[in-house]
Amino acid sequence: MIVAGRQTAFVFLIVTVALFYIFLEMARRGRRIPIRTFPAIAAIPEAIGRCAEMGKPLLYTSGYAMETLSNPDQGPQTLASISILSHVARLAVKAGVKLYYFTCIRDSLPLVEETLRTAYLEEGKPEEFDPLQINYQAGQSPYLNAVLGFMQRERPAANILMGGFYYESVVMGEGGNTIGAMQIAGTANTHQMPFLIATCDYCLIAEELYAASANITQDPWVLGCLRGEDIMKIVILALLIVGFVISFTGTTFLIDVLKR
Amino acid sequence: MSQETIWDRLQRIDRRVIYWLLFILLILPFLRPLGLPISISPQSRSLLEGLRKLKEGDVVVINISSGVSAWPECLPSLVAVSKVLIQQKAKIIYWTSFVDGHMTFEKIVEKVPGFKGLTYGVDYVHLGFYTGAEPTVAQLATNIRAIFTTDYKGTPIDQLPIMKGVNSAKDVKMVISSDTGDYGDYYIRQWRIPYGVPFAEIGIAMLFSNYQPYWPEIVFGMTGGAKGGAELEKLIGEPGDATVTMDAINTSHLLVVVAVILANLGYAATRRRR
Amino acid sequence: MAEVVRREVVYALTAIITVIMIADFFLAIPQVNAVAGELRTWATIISTMALTLGAVNIIRVHSRNVRKRVPGVWYHSAFLVFIFALVTLLGLTNIDNPSANPVYKWLFDHAYVSLGQTWYAITGFYIASAAYRAFRARNIDAALLLIAGIFVMLMNAPIGEVIWAQIPAIGRWFNDVGQVPAMRTFLIVAAFGLLAFGFRTLLGRERGFYGEVA
Repeated sequence: MIVAGRQTAFVFLIVTVALFYIFLEMARRGRRIPIRTFPAIAAIPEAIGRCAEMGKPLLYTSGYAMETLSNPDQGPQTLASISILSHVARLAVKAGVKLYYFTCIRDSLPLVEETLRTAYLEEGKPEEFDPLQINYQAGQSPYLNAVLGFMQRERPAANILMGGFYYESVVMGEGGNTIGAMQIAGTANTHQMPFLIATCDYCLIAEELYAASANITQDPWVLGCLRGEDIMKIVILALLIVGFVISFTGTTFLIDVLKR
Repeated sequence: MSQETIWDRLQRIDRRVIYWLLFILLILPFLRPLGLPISISPQSRSLLEGLRKLKEGDVVVINISSGVSAWPECLPSLVAVSKVLIQQKAKIIYWTSFVDGHMTFEKIVEKVPGFKGLTYGVDYVHLGFYTGAEPTVAQLATNIRAIFTTDYKGTPIDQLPIMKGVNSAKDVKMVISSDTGDYGDYYIRQWRIPYGVPFAEIGIAMLFSNYQPYWPEIVFGMTGGAKGGAELEKLIGEPGDATVTMDAINTSHLLVVVAVILANLGYAATRRRR
Repeated sequence: MAEVVRREVVYALTAIITVIMIADFFLAIPQVNAVAGELRTWATIISTMALTLGAVNIIRVHSRNVRKRVPGVWYHSAFLVFIFALVTLLGLTNIDNPSANPVYKWLFDHAYVSLGQTWYAITGFYIASAAYRAFRARNIDAALLLIAGIFVMLMNAPIGEVIWAQIPAIGRWFNDVGQVPAMRTFLIVAAFGLLAFGFRTLLGRERGFYGEVA
């Protein structure tokens, strides 16, 4: 019944999902799943505090991400970024810092507006929310242009760059450095990680972006999934080592099984 | 008051100086070309070898997922690949996921003399723009007519002789994606893995390392940026825009390396003082 | 009550569609494949509609700037609205092949292309200043990274071979033997992260996705 060539992948999927479920049940029943603190997430209050002290706004942006949420590699990064945005927005509202959001991802606009509006509502300041805090530009270059222009004019004290970035990452990172802003970044795009790491003060790399919400909320569901992921990584590592050892015997048994 | 030494100044060169130097070094090679030899990477070589295996009448899809801003990096490779496909007498279907993709198509036709001897709609066609990322790429693999009902000029697809009997990945001999983002991954996941359609990547330099893990088993060939284009131009014996750009790449890379080395010399010299 | 129903409907819809798409990939059941194909077509249509969402947002925001004469901004917004209307009208003059209109083509060839390439070219300058500023051999790890980076940079430029004939070979070693396994690791790790994210979204536990505050 399962398509040939995808059977092993199906088994892996079932095992992974089963592990997620097992560990999230354990977490829900009270078992403690420790997670290390991400310096980038821990630095967010510091960044907001800096904005409050200097009386400057906070810039938050989710990257180009191919301008759509329906992209399977970029969409989840944007959604993870919006999860982090809700946390950042609450802290910013509490501290009285104005947050400006820049994006070129048209289908994320309703989500972002909802997230920000809810953050203001939860902090008891719904009247302070202004839809003009959300800036949309169509296209990668206009979006980059808008962010750089904002940086030069408004001189935000902190920039948070979280999401699916492309070539704009190095330009924004370096632009932020020019104005002396504190910069926190995060992306799962491997081709942009070096630029963000080089230009920003803190950076979430690869799956840390997806795990960030676990760091923030300590939600047992999220922590359970993280533990399941870690177990699967150990399984993959074990397969790699076994495969490496077996390869000296000349057999292709493991490769044949994995290709099934 | 401590005196700033040369070693301190080496670490704090104003970025405007670097920008001006870079600007001058990028312009100079266009005035006085260096003409240094270009080494060929195995990935470009295997791309050309893969193209040369095509037979007359084989249908090849070229996906344009790079915008006009990436022309310096992707266009030379697209032009070179199109030239080879015409030499192999393959049928070429272009489509694009970028709103300005039709401009890239028109530029390719303008730059490849071989198109003059071909008939649009019979030997090559541009089906137009599609949106929707991977779901659409997956749908194209099963039913092209569900996404494209006309070509980019509005001609119904069934009136195009090239599209006769071509409606899915099973009817296509090869797919080549030129992209600045993730579309190569989509074609790997939705065309190459499920249907076994040979896939090649024409990408910007930043994406070269992204697709290297897939080479050579999953991606039979790839080029990265202007250098990849220059390599293809050298392989087919027709120097073009990318070859001209290589001199500028030489001087700019050299400047960055020298600047980094100088900064580190300054850092090493002042480190003990700290 | 309406809010709860709305959220539950979103969860249910996400779950059903996810199960269908996963089943389509793994199971060779023609009925499931047909439904999945139809859903993919709907996804394309919805994605196309999202283009309109962006256009509407731009017009809404910038028209408001013009109407309210927002100081320092309103004339930029007026220009944007004018250009938006101009290009739209020009494109509509020949809806099947807008490039046939010479003014439309001129605007694309001489404004859009030039500006787009300018912005892309700016990246090179910023990379140069970022590399100069950030690449310091502060410790052994940074020094090794620096050395590898220099070899790879010079491998990508023909001048590297002129400086020393072995540079391309060493650079290629760093690239093929050093970098490729690391990239494969990232691919695997990111895939699991994505899977976990999708699992949480499916169960309605990824709050940002549903517009809830974390």
